[in-house]
Amino acid sequence: MAGSGLAPLRDRPDVLLRVEGLVVEFPVGRRDVVHAVSGISFDVAEGETLGIVGESGCGKSTVARAIIRLNDIREGSVMFEGKNLAVLKGEELRKSRPDLQMIFQDPISSLNPRRKVRDVISEGLKVWGSQMGAWSEGRIDELMHAVGVDPKFGDRRPHQFSGGQCQRIGIARALAMDPKVLICDEPVSALDVSVQAQVLNLLEDMKVRYGLTLLFISHDLAVVKNVSDRIIVMYLGKACEIGAADELYEHPRHPYTRALLASIPEPAPTVEVSEGDIEGELPSPINPPKGCRFNTRCPHADEICYEDEPQMEAVGGDHFVACHHPVAVSIDV
Amino acid sequence: MADDISTENTEVVLDEAELEIDDAVKKKLGVGFWIAITWLVLVVGLALLAPVLPIDGQNDVAAGGRLESPSMDHLFGTDGAGRDVFSRTIWGARVSLSVGFIAIASGLFVGGPLGIIAGFFRGKVDAVISFVFLSLLSFPSLVLALLIVNSLDRSLRIVALVLGILAIAPIGRLARANTIVFAEREFVQASRVIGAKNGRIMVRELLPNVLIPMSALALLGMAVAIVAEGGLAFLGLSVKEGATWGKMILEGADPRTLRTGTHVSMSPIMVLFFTVLALNYAGDRVRSYFDVRETAF
Amino acid sequence: MAEPLLTVRDLSVRFPTTRGVVQAVNGVEFDLEEGQTIGIVGESGSGKSVTAKTLMNLLPRTAEIDGEVMFDGRDVRELAAKGEDHFWGVQMTMVFQDPMTSLNPVKRCGEQIAETLRYHMGHDKKKAISESIDLLERVGIPEPAKRVAQYPHELSGGLRQRVVIAMALACQPRLLIADEPTTAVDVTVQKLLLDLLDDLRKERRMSMILITHDLGVARGRCDEVAVMYAGRIVERADSHSLFSDSRHPYTDALLRSIPRIDQPSHTRLDPIPGRPPELINPPVQCAYAPRCRFAQRSCLEEIPEVSGVVGMHSFACHYPANTERGEAALQANLDRGETAGGLHLHAAAEGAS
Repeated sequence: MAGSGLAPLRDRPDVLLRVEGLVVEFPVGRRDVVHAVSGISFDVAEGETLGIVGESGCGKSTVARAIIRLNDIREGSVMFEGKNLAVLKGEELRKSRPDLQMIFQDPISSLNPRRKVRDVISEGLKVWGSQMGAWSEGRIDELMHAVGVDPKFGDRRPHQFSGGQCQRIGIARALAMDPKVLICDEPVSALDVSVQAQVLNLLEDMKVRYGLTLLFISHDLAVVKNVSDRIIVMYLGKACEIGAADELYEHPRHPYTRALLASIPEPAPTVEVSEGDIEGELPSPINPPKGCRFNTRCPHADEICYEDEPQMEAVGGDHFVACHHPVAVSIDV
Repeated sequence: MADDISTENTEVVLDEAELEIDDAVKKKLGVGFWIAITWLVLVVGLALLAPVLPIDGQNDVAAGGRLESPSMDHLFGTDGAGRDVFSRTIWGARVSLSVGFIAIASGLFVGGPLGIIAGFFRGKVDAVISFVFLSLLSFPSLVLALLIVNSLDRSLRIVALVLGILAIAPIGRLARANTIVFAEREFVQASRVIGAKNGRIMVRELLPNVLIPMSALALLGMAVAIVAEGGLAFLGLSVKEGATWGKMILEGADPRTLRTGTHVSMSPIMVLFFTVLALNYAGDRVRSYFDVRETAF
Repeated sequence: MAEPLLTVRDLSVRFPTTRGVVQAVNGVEFDLEEGQTIGIVGESGSGKSVTAKTLMNLLPRTAEIDGEVMFDGRDVRELAAKGEDHFWGVQMTMVFQDPMTSLNPVKRCGEQIAETLRYHMGHDKKKAISESIDLLERVGIPEPAKRVAQYPHELSGGLRQRVVIAMALACQPRLLIADEPTTAVDVTVQKLLLDLLDDLRKERRMSMILITHDLGVARGRCDEVAVMYAGRIVERADSHSLFSDSRHPYTDALLRSIPRIDQPSHTRLDPIPGRPPELINPPVQCAYAPRCRFAQRSCLEEIPEVSGVVGMHSFACHYPANTERGEAALQANLDRGETAGGLHLHAAAEGAS
């Protein structure tokens, strides 16, 4: 299996979601295949927030959509409460849906413009009827209140709300299903700066209040760090580096992680700004490079990087890197 | 703890004043729309009440004479057979409007669901349905109409049915195209993630969005169907019994009649024109009225 | 001191709409010297893009513009009225957020640059193409000779934006307005593009207006930064003092609300409550007052004048942050539990931040 190694998988009883060797491919044209995600393994423990960060085209959203089965999975497993979500079909798949919910990137587009927001939020409860416990106006009011939208505006339609409010309503819709896992796909990138913090705080609060486990996808390194316990850095369908949030940003080992941290407008103090100058373009996911996928742009690449794919290896407690030449970092206290 | 959280969040709840602004922007349908609706109500009302109205029967020859110009006795004059044109226009509305309505209803009820299904499932289902639509569009419509009406009979039902078949493809294709656009939207994916079945997604999420452009087209299509009935009448293929606007125009277009009494064809033409215009205008207004602004500020 | 290249005085832009008049820009003033970069920071609807479009003469005819814009001694609004063609695109050019809006999808990249050169500079076709290749090379596009013959969709987002920059630079402009030039691209590409703009600016002694919603970009890339809120510039200073010693409560709150890379994870953010005000018939008060933690009665009664040292560090606030007066106002609000604008404050939460 073309995997980047199973090392980051933890053998803990409280692991809620375990993704192993996930491969997602999309056919393009007659013969070509986009290798969107090529063998990624990770797990999420109950109550944890796992961040996935990377640039466009790295496959981070595809991972999210595959787990929630909006995309088909080519290979690999997604274990959740003893079931392999990757192989579920039809009614069985549908029945597994409420436990994993999603917050979408575009808050406006994620709400049906023709439905009242109260109906949007209660839709899930109506779909599942008695199985989800009694549906009541009181429950909807409580949810709206919890996400900070006054229930008296329930009869309004989405276009009468701002982007931030629409995102709150989307969160209420997901919470109505009483999910265990909440997948957030770039939930704040369409929002204004001053509103982002409101929504990020709300997600943290909801996580505590409803006992959620979060998968948080974003291209914004600071945002991901703020919400995550653990972070995966992805590049071209592969995981480069996995680690505890603070540790990963403090001691980035993969040249790509370092490049990202050096590229942001206010670079992390742990890297040199010049490390952000990575050359060339993102290779095509239709025909990704052999060996390490970052080899076309990596300043440290040598022969072995063009031959062998690096596997995930531990470089410290909860810190794994898939690189033949991980950057040494001085660990000062 | 939980209480603290909720109070902190309600802090950022928008206050009423912020939303009031939106109420001030409520769109209006406009005076034109209401004039159009008044006209349509008038025409439909007169058509429905024709049997009890104090007007001549559709084939009664009125006292007076042939090809009389409009007067107080005969508002729209009389035709070549000496029948009251005003009465016949009202009787004709019964057939013409029924044909238009039935044709479009069948287009909506057959084409709409097929289009939504095709656009939602894509793949093979779409290929088959789209091919059917394409075939219907490619087959010369007049020939199709001729074939069916000729081989069956010239009853109101058959004529309406033929026009209905012709309405399926345009309405269906519009429904399909709109469904494809909306199916990409995140709210449809959200509904799937919630666990809604395909049927529910199509009915609850897609239909309300697809219905607006579809009904706008349907109103337009009704106008087309009424005109098409006139076309069939021209070929002598419309409803056998009784007056229709199409038949009346045809009779009035007879060269001998035209020379002396343009009012015979002009009356149904004007009524047809205003009815079609009203339908089109109302359709247009309805569409833009429901065209919600989807951008928040 | 030399005369500034660009002076904007009391610029106001209104758009009549069916819902009322939108006051998009309101009394905006700033100077820009040769070779300098001013950043205009703000959220959507703050008026930053409208300001840029006004300078570029790109607003629809319905816009009502007031105020004075002088560029090197010439009245820009007069030039617009006279229909001067070889000013915009030559002296003053603009780079937009989405490169696809400035590139014609059915024309080769080279042709598009060459067209600009032929129209404005009167080059013949051959010279224009060869100069296009030089320009593409200058903006760091690999294999420029090959790229001139390619269509925009054949290039990545980063390369496309470089083509747009090349096009904007074709006629050696003295002022480049970059409206969110890197919002549509990834961070690694963003860094390279901003580096490129920096280099080009220094090399050509070009002035630049950088419009962005990203405070980090503004801090790192601008000499001076103006913060816009609801159509007004609420604070303007050199970028160092603006970010380290901000005076306007909005700037201050914005800086607190964004997650920072150097904070540990799960640091509680300090959001700005509410949302930006409507621009139609705004009440006569400080536009930020309803969201402001410092707000006092006077903030709701009059619009604060620009104070401080104009040209150095100016701001429009009655109770500026990081001053005694401001701190006293904040403390009074905290003691009361709410601001004059009716915003509830939690004393405990304040202590924690």
